Amino acid sequence: MSSGVKRILWVFAFALFTFTGDRIGGEVLSSIVSESQFRFSRLYRGEAGCDLLFMGNSRGLIFYQPYIEEKTGLETCNLSYNAMPMSLARVLLSDYLDINPAPRKLIIDISMLDTRMDENLSTGFNCYTPYSARLRNFLKARFPKAWYGGRVSHLFRYNNEVFQRALFYWKNSDKDWLLDRVITPTLREKVKEEAPFLFTYTDEMLADLKAVVDFYEEKGVEVVLVVNPYFPPFAKKIANLDELIAATQAATGLIVHNYADSIAGTEGFGDYQHLNKVGSRQYLDLLIRDGILPVSASFGFSEGR
Amino acid sequence: MIFNSLAFLVFVAIFIPLYFALKGRARLLLALVGSYLFYGWWDWRFLSLIAMSTLVDYWVGAAIYKENDEKRRQRLLLLSMVVNLGFLGFFKYFDFFISSFVELLQSFGLQPSVSTLGIILPVGISFYTFQSMSYTIDIYRRKLEPEHDLVKFATFVAFWPQLVAGPIVRASDFLPQFRSDHPFEWDRFTKGSAQVLWGFFKKVAIADSLAPIVDQCFADPSSFGSVNLYIAVIFYSFQIYCDFSGYSDIAIGFARILGFDFPANFRTPYFSGNFSEFWTRWHISLSSWLRDYLYIPLGGNRHGTAKTYRNLMLTMLLGGLWHGANWTFVFWGWLHGMYLVVQRLFSNVWTSVMHTLKAPRWANAGLSILLVYLFTNLAWVFFRSPDFSTAAAVLQKMAGLEGFTVAQIMNKFLVAKGVLLIAFLLLVEISDFRFNYSSLVVRQPVFRLASFAILLWMIAFFGTFNSNAFIYFQF
Repeated sequence: MSSGVKRILWVFAFALFTFTGDRIGGEVLSSIVSESQFRFSRLYRGEAGCDLLFMGNSRGLIFYQPYIEEKTGLETCNLSYNAMPMSLARVLLSDYLDINPAPRKLIIDISMLDTRMDENLSTGFNCYTPYSARLRNFLKARFPKAWYGGRVSHLFRYNNEVFQRALFYWKNSDKDWLLDRVITPTLREKVKEEAPFLFTYTDEMLADLKAVVDFYEEKGVEVVLVVNPYFPPFAKKIANLDELIAATQAATGLIVHNYADSIAGTEGFGDYQHLNKVGSRQYLDLLIRDGILPVSASFGFSEGR
Repeated sequence: MIFNSLAFLVFVAIFIPLYFALKGRARLLLALVGSYLFYGWWDWRFLSLIAMSTLVDYWVGAAIYKENDEKRRQRLLLLSMVVNLGFLGFFKYFDFFISSFVELLQSFGLQPSVSTLGIILPVGISFYTFQSMSYTIDIYRRKLEPEHDLVKFATFVAFWPQLVAGPIVRASDFLPQFRSDHPFEWDRFTKGSAQVLWGFFKKVAIADSLAPIVDQCFADPSSFGSVNLYIAVIFYSFQIYCDFSGYSDIAIGFARILGFDFPANFRTPYFSGNFSEFWTRWHISLSSWLRDYLYIPLGGNRHGTAKTYRNLMLTMLLGGLWHGANWTFVFWGWLHGMYLVVQRLFSNVWTSVMHTLKAPRWANAGLSILLVYLFTNLAWVFFRSPDFSTAAAVLQKMAGLEGFTVAQIMNKFLVAKGVLLIAFLLLVEISDFRFNYSSLVVRQPVFRLASFAILLWMIAFFGTFNSNAFIYFQF
């Protein structure tokens, strides 16, 4: 055999080996995603049915499920994720209703209506594209590089933090996902130096939110919009929260319940924008007090789930 | 264009087949045009600088060689220095010195109305300036004959694989390699590709995965618990190593594919047992340049202890300043100079303490490596910080241990990914260091191709594909 033919055979063998390895690796990782207890894996398995459904960015994680379930006796599902953009939230919430039974109530923290949210986070959901045509079309239209990259290499589909979380919650529940830390004294002091905080929302975000509200209300789901708490001195730095609330109310026709400045003290905060587990409990008590979070007796529908 | 961009992939896919399809002069011209296209992709206006530097050194080199009068030879060398260092000084340091001067006057209560020019730094100017200067200096020292072919010389200065971030290749090593056409060699191709792939892995998978944590913490150190700053400093040491050595691997690998052999620029530097050894393992082409063209001409270690220390300090201070127009880089150089001086002062004490304690060799070596790594990290804090107040904030926070708990760790998943990748890097480097793993890859085609595939899978699974520029481009 000539050395030229040998080399061609080597290249062919190498390409075949690399391709096969990529596909086998992709299959292995896919099985982890599909078996995981992570919220989005359960969503796409159709095992995320609940009474109370939550959506938000990292601030939405303060809808701390163990405490809500303990206090209300209702089942919960929280689809919040760090830096969740509204466009992706719309896809996920639409898929939720396609695959899972309708919840009784959907609660959305509207602070996700901000261009600071990470649109690129959507590419992390490449690992769920095998389960959703809507997600596939969304990625193909918005993030073609990521989409086609995932077609070329199946391993690339799992090159993201979303997969890492699915791996982390492979065998255990993700309901306990919330900050434990307490805001540091330095950070507390630094708030004075912070520049004014401005929400930069777009019409497209409001339209996405409106579409979600309409879609859920059509299915008989009550939708509630809230603003979750901020560290009080930081809340004072937010220059256009009222404007955001007004725009949201005008777009959706729903009242926005503003809890931005509702939690006092420092022990309940992990940083300026996030409650920790202590603060979350205080906040959830407020939501129960105000009837935003119902208790099962008054809600009367959780039986049999 | 940068190596981790789509434009570069297209460039390489066209350049390499065309390069081997051509021969002789046509190939040389292609190499030059390709190199200028590669460089001009950033900003075509800077091509005039590299062309000017090339023409001056080409002419000065030939003139020095012909000249027998020592004074005239000196004047010619001075001309080359003035032009090269003049460009470097103006584009890299003018604004820095002006603003430093203004700050100095302001500290005396004066309010001078001097403004900076907002000059944009041409990418890679420090690298090709040093490379080009070494040519005229070597001719002046009668160690090298001038290159008569301008195209060949211009290609030597602008050769695209190592143009913007090294390694800084000496004319005496590089120019002779232009004498013959290098035919396509399968063995060179696969070995070169392996090195390119390893370089890409270090850059896009390791360095770029560590970058977000480092960037966040150094942007605002006071916002994070100290545990995050410890993580950020350790991550930075690996980020800059993988970023820079990754670039060198890609450059050396591509050069090897094209038929050229460049010397190694890094050799597992964090396994150094002392600082002299560190500088023979880190950015070898720069440290050897500084040794040969600065430290030794200053007198090296030939004129007594005090002058040796002075020469070490001067070399390291200028080495620091070479990296960037900022006092933090100068301080980084000063720290490394001090490390070398202190090491010389206390190496005997260290040896006798270890001897008295009857410390086994492995413990001595391990402790030395750890100490060198820790002090290198201390210096990296200044190198990475945009200013002294940031460096002070980082060190203060680290010393105070405020928020040194697991709960305070930000972005745990990114941190976990970073730790995993560093562990993989160390595993490969230890295997290479102890068992010469890379020679196995080179010798065994099956092993080589398996390594290729593993690296490709790892790049697909861990890579960051947002075309982050290489850190050393700014130098």
